[in-house]
Amino acid sequence: MISVADLLTNNRIPGNFYAPDVYVRGDLEVGLLENRQGDRLLAVPETLIQAIYSGLDKETGQASRLVLFNCGKWWGKSFYTRFCEQISGYYGTPLADVAMIEFLQALQACWIAHGWGKIDLDQTYQQRGFLIVKTWNSAFARLAPSQNQPVCYLEAGALTSFFSRLTGRELHCVQTSCESMGADCNRFLLGLPQRLEPVETMVTHLDHDAIMQQMCQPGL
Amino acid sequence: MHPQLASIFDQAENRYLKVEELKLISQYVASMPERLDTYRNLRDRELEIMQAVVDQLQAALPEESEENLERCIKHALLMLRYCALSLLINDESLIQKRFLDWVGPLAQAYDTKTIDAKLYRLLNQQLAKMLTAKQMGYLSPGLALAQEALLSQSMNPAGGRR
Repeated sequence: MISVADLLTNNRIPGNFYAPDVYVRGDLEVGLLENRQGDRLLAVPETLIQAIYSGLDKETGQASRLVLFNCGKWWGKSFYTRFCEQISGYYGTPLADVAMIEFLQALQACWIAHGWGKIDLDQTYQQRGFLIVKTWNSAFARLAPSQNQPVCYLEAGALTSFFSRLTGRELHCVQTSCESMGADCNRFLLGLPQRLEPVETMVTHLDHDAIMQQMCQPGL
Repeated sequence: MHPQLASIFDQAENRYLKVEELKLISQYVASMPERLDTYRNLRDRELEIMQAVVDQLQAALPEESEENLERCIKHALLMLRYCALSLLINDESLIQKRFLDWVGPLAQAYDTKTIDAKLYRLLNQQLAKMLTAKQMGYLSPGLALAQEALLSQSMNPAGGRR
């Protein structure tokens, strides 16, 4: 028989740790934004994002993509650590024991609460060794100077680190569709670095579906 | 706080409140003792109410796995707690923001509608037994909002996401 008392650990039922009205706090007098644990949050104005893009372009030209990707990787590493701490702390279970559905939902809520937009996973190509991450309403896509290829290098870097840490394998990530190019969402293809190598050049002239078709051809 | 009350208090910055605005506030204040009683009642008898529901639920669905039942019961406990808080502060938007936005997609992914429907029926019966009609009057709108939202969701057998 199920005992209700046993279901209540420390008399609590955890809900959404990242509920925005609880998660984000601010102290106007000292001008600080904090999360519910008291960790600092940073509000990034649109002007700053635009300035990062134009400043990097001026200083580093073509290399700005790599710079953004590496910054994303660095940030993604800390993001993963913080996410694990928050989840395991709040739900009282290590991340490894959290069911996939709850994990994904927490990640989605976390993404929203931090103002990154919406995120979802597409596991259609899991058997082929690829994971597709989809995001919507990315400020980094919206404010990027228009290019003829996807522009969310910062997010691609962050997802690289996050999923490499999560899976314990060194993964790479290439963006295959971008809101800045009129796509319905940003798609990021994750997989082993050597398998993703050909995708780097494909993104300049192929759309997401065409890329996936190429990647899933026998022999690749 | 109820959005309507909150906006009345904002208005008070520029002018004294009108008779009908004050009436709304007095109604809320007058309902406070009853709201507090309902809240205390739910808090103190949570285990008793839910255990009775759970026993009947398990008897009614003997073939259902404990894991699935426990998940639904936890969600129902959370629902009751948020409904209790919402009746106290007279703000149903809390149920949407804190409860439905979180549990809705989970219920959908785990496809718990059959268990939930049964569970809610038993829970509502139990609550009607344990609370006075007036107390039920404060709790019911929020509870109905939460239950209807969860039961009217379309289910995705593939466990798909929003």
